Amino acid sequence: MIPDPLALIAEITHRCPLHCVYCSNPLEMIAARAELSTEEWARIFRESRELGVLHAHLTGGEPLARPDLRELIRSAHSAGLYTNLITSGIGLSEQRLPGLVEAGLDHIQLSFQDSRETKANWIAGTHAHAHKVALAGIIRKFRIAFTVNLVVHRQNLDHLAEMIAFIEDLGPERMEIAHAQYYGWALENRSFLLPTREQVERSMGIVGAAQQRLAGKIRIDCVVPDYYARYPKACMGGWGRRLLLIDPAGRVLPCHAAGVIPGMQFASVRDHPVKWIWTESEAFQRFRGEDWMMEPCRSCDRRSEDFGGCRCQAFLITGDARGTDPVCSLAPTHRLVDLATRDVRDRDPIDWAYRSNPA
Amino acid sequence: MAVPTDESRPRLAVGCRWGSHGEEPVILYPEGMIRLQATGRSILELCDGERNLREIVASLALRYPGADRAKIGGDVAVFLESLQQKRIVDY
Repeated sequence: MIPDPLALIAEITHRCPLHCVYCSNPLEMIAARAELSTEEWARIFRESRELGVLHAHLTGGEPLARPDLRELIRSAHSAGLYTNLITSGIGLSEQRLPGLVEAGLDHIQLSFQDSRETKANWIAGTHAHAHKVALAGIIRKFRIAFTVNLVVHRQNLDHLAEMIAFIEDLGPERMEIAHAQYYGWALENRSFLLPTREQVERSMGIVGAAQQRLAGKIRIDCVVPDYYARYPKACMGGWGRRLLLIDPAGRVLPCHAAGVIPGMQFASVRDHPVKWIWTESEAFQRFRGEDWMMEPCRSCDRRSEDFGGCRCQAFLITGDARGTDPVCSLAPTHRLVDLATRDVRDRDPIDWAYRSNPA
Repeated sequence: MAVPTDESRPRLAVGCRWGSHGEEPVILYPEGMIRLQATGRSILELCDGERNLREIVASLALRYPGADRAKIGGDVAVFLESLQQKRIVDY
């Protein structure tokens, strides 16, 4: 029995004014001229809701780069979806925000790169920090749910407590402290971003203390770094079990990174209904359930909890998408992750690759 | 944040609202949804920001005549406090 998807990640554009060094977008991005139209997205939102989807997470790139964002929010909301805008805030103003709220936006997740302006701008590869701080004050004037997201890594973890205090002052109901996940641009820059084990352990203590201190005021969610975990994450809640991602040109994927796996054919909403892609298409069947698993996953007690971990990470690190996620301590390939974590040392200069933009 | 008092007027927090998962009513919040037991659902249906906790408990006591009223009051307070900590409910 194929479960209904619960959430749609709508990558409405790959264009972005920021160049964050850990961006989850693929290295090869989709050009503006290939993007889906307003009407195509409206159909996707209707079909997704009919299929059982509850949340539409509008993301990118920077979703505000689409001039029709207000219409997109309106059509997602009218389709009955909970509508979430995942944004850097660049392109949002006191003039533009009321239209988005009126169109039915439920929630804004605003990203920050750091609490310190110079450092934040260095990570984002542009001068965005001051605008974000001003924007947080504007968002608080509206009755809309507000989350601040902060990606953490070796270059900012040593002042995590300061960053949490900074976010607290911005006044969100939620904060998400997300350790960088090593796909896309973050994998390119892994040698500069991967924290030390000591940094990770210290950060868990700091987050735990902040969760207690801010209980009832700010809900803190933490995305843990899987390289130091004993067992892998249940990536996306399992392949083709809960989420679907639609890229700017209409290809439907089970996650952000699946495009890296060789030989996968992802069907497009331009050729097929969303329901057919979810239930029938080869890509969604490929790693659904347990039949594809090899040992040690196949006989592992944890297989129904973590589904063997992440297929993309298995491919990116070991070259085999069917293998156990190498972050798992039981994986025969685990030494590859150990090697990466042992390679953590400060490099000078930090000549990391900034995320570029599509043509 | 303290436990709710008799005078608290709980309601769903901003960004949290009812939705349906198939036929089942659920609470949608920014990153997910909460499935509810029958009792949790009847409590939250009364949390409209108008009724105070005393009125909510009285209403539930009518609905569950066999149950001890003080126990209902305690259970409702614990339930609402746990949702307040998750920023699902405000009071």
